[in-house]
Amino acid sequence: MNCAIHLQGISKSFGDTKAVQHLELDIAQGSMCGFLGPNGAGKSTTIRMIMSIIHADSGSIDVLGTTALKAKDRIGYLPEERGVYRKMKVAKFIEYIANLKGMYGSSLKKTIAEWLERIDLPDVQHKKCEELSKGMQQKVQFLAAIIHEPELIILDEPFSGLDPVNAKVIGSVINDLHKEGRTILFSTHVLHQAEQICDRIVMIDQGVKVLDGSLGSIQEQFDPRIVQVETVDPSVCFDSIAGIANISMSEKNKRVNLRIHEDANPIDVLQKVVAFTPVRSAQISKPSLDEIFIEQVARSRGTEAAEAIRMELDHA
Amino acid sequence: MHKILTVAWREFRHTAMTKAFVLGAIVMPILMMALFILVIPLMMDSNTTPLQGTIVLVAPNDVVVELETQISKGITSIEEVADQLPDVITNDPIASAMLGNNSQTDISILVAPNENLDSLKDQVRNGDYVGLIVVPDSIIQDDESDEQLSLFIPSSFSPNHMDILTRATSQSVVNVRLRRLGHEPKDIHDLVRRPRTIATRLSDDGGEERDNEFARRIIPMAFMMLLWIATFTSGNCLLTTTIEEKSNKVMEVLLSAISPMQLLAGKILGQAGVSAVILCMYGSAALAGLVTFALLDLIPFAHLLMFVIFFVIAYFMIATIMAAVGSAVSELRDAQSLMGPVMLILIIPLALWPVLAEHPNGMIATISSFTPPLLPFVMILRVTASTEPVALWQVILSIGIGLGSVIAMLWMCARIFRIGILIQGKPPNILQLVKWIRQG
Repeated sequence: MNCAIHLQGISKSFGDTKAVQHLELDIAQGSMCGFLGPNGAGKSTTIRMIMSIIHADSGSIDVLGTTALKAKDRIGYLPEERGVYRKMKVAKFIEYIANLKGMYGSSLKKTIAEWLERIDLPDVQHKKCEELSKGMQQKVQFLAAIIHEPELIILDEPFSGLDPVNAKVIGSVINDLHKEGRTILFSTHVLHQAEQICDRIVMIDQGVKVLDGSLGSIQEQFDPRIVQVETVDPSVCFDSIAGIANISMSEKNKRVNLRIHEDANPIDVLQKVVAFTPVRSAQISKPSLDEIFIEQVARSRGTEAAEAIRMELDHA
Repeated sequence: MHKILTVAWREFRHTAMTKAFVLGAIVMPILMMALFILVIPLMMDSNTTPLQGTIVLVAPNDVVVELETQISKGITSIEEVADQLPDVITNDPIASAMLGNNSQTDISILVAPNENLDSLKDQVRNGDYVGLIVVPDSIIQDDESDEQLSLFIPSSFSPNHMDILTRATSQSVVNVRLRRLGHEPKDIHDLVRRPRTIATRLSDDGGEERDNEFARRIIPMAFMMLLWIATFTSGNCLLTTTIEEKSNKVMEVLLSAISPMQLLAGKILGQAGVSAVILCMYGSAALAGLVTFALLDLIPFAHLLMFVIFFVIAYFMIATIMAAVGSAVSELRDAQSLMGPVMLILIIPLALWPVLAEHPNGMIATISSFTPPLLPFVMILRVTASTEPVALWQVILSIGIGLGSVIAMLWMCARIFRIGILIQGKPPNILQLVKWIRQG
């Protein structure tokens, strides 16, 4: 496997806080990897170390066969903290960052104009950055990160602060870049975003890697313990069926989620449900990344920590 | 190198090619100079509207005659003052305009008896007369008399015109006193006029050089101020742009493209250009002024060469301090606490300028000219103020210490900059900065 990023046992502490601990990570070239975890998990610190912005206390980092310092022009990076030169004009700002990435030439202005069109910002070239909304500034900064057509794109929380329409635009560009063969690593604390577009998931918690693999393989590692039912009669109550630990209603699709007891067999419960009442559909659902992550935290740090994570993810 | 130049060009362009800079550093000084050169003489000229009208004089006859003479020949006593001033001041167009403020008068004198003074005051008040002067005979008879000259004028009377009348009258009284004693006033004035002195300095090598007090006092100050303005203006810009990049959160974007050292080098280089522009602008204006007054020979070429060398040293010293402070804080107001001690030290050459210029080879001047970061400011002052050349070894030693300090300060600045640019929140104190330098 050709690795775009290879991390070997990297650790980083800030005072007494261990931000990242012995992290091992290989990201294959051409993959789209989601780097997930709750706030404060150590995602941004890891990314900053990958970018050589801060240095690891121990371990080694290999980026595109060398270090990020030597390969900066081949990497596109959107940091977590958004920033632009407020007084600079949009096109000039993007041009300046492109110049710093080693991109020059008369065609640069045309490329910038085309890209601005593509991300739905057609008439902002000559506007000052401070005249744009926060979301528009974020799109400008995203463009500055990818304008030089990098091989490796690292995006730290690319969708945070964007409305659904703009998030879709950026998501579509990220997908296109992936199809062109670029390696993409993006971090998010909103796990279902990663679920939708990533072919590889790395999850960290408190600076330690807790999950690593393709979405399918991760889901298979976890015993599916939810039966999802769409009933004909919405007033049906499942309390009398043995083996159900918890019942919740999905507001989105009007389905009932039945969480199965640890000692019950999900297939037995599914059969009982179908026998109990007429249903439009009933299935043993795959666990979502949120659920997998919560379960993982529960295993490693106990149920209290898992509940705290659940609340945090619910608010994300 | 290409990336450093890209950063430098942006830094220069967004500092020196902005409306604020053009207005503050170019237009404003030009306007100020224009104000001094053109507007003030014009204003003074327009202010000297002739004193016209009738003055009522209550005085002995010989005083009346004397005052008429004084007024008819114009009030020229200011020339006596001008006579004592150095050539350079009388050569100055502004000073000339001020000295040439000879009073033009068109006054008739009405002599009145020392009666009905209240009625005369009313007539002055009503504008019938421009003024009333009362000269008691006793102050001519007895110069220790308690009585005084009295001048009554309308409330709107110009201070300039009041000065004309006061001087003319008091001069008339002095002249009358002299005449009554049988002396010709002009002879006495000629006798008491102080001769001008030409000081010539005799050097140990047998040479003679005419002393020029102006050159000795003003030119060193001008050199030091020029150094100060050029380095501190750009240094301040370096501080604010670094803080701006931190507070705008654009720093991490830059660091994804370039290393902290490339960023620091580009910023220092860009602001060096800004500093050079300021230096050239003000320096060439000063040189043009010297050429205008044929005083260029007051500045030897060696002094200009020294100035350039010490400018480079001063710029890098100030720039490294400003960049380090700018990188360590997140807001401009946080910079004040760190800049306070630095400014306290750097203000020393300005505060001690008179002492340093008077004793350029004294102990204080000598020691401070070897002490970074004061040395470029003090040494340029010493070099240009000294009547005896500063020993060459001292100049070379000062340059050596300066260059060594610049390298050390760049090294320290780089270590602070690398850590500081990613730090947000509470600004560090001096001890933490020292820790950063050690961590590097």
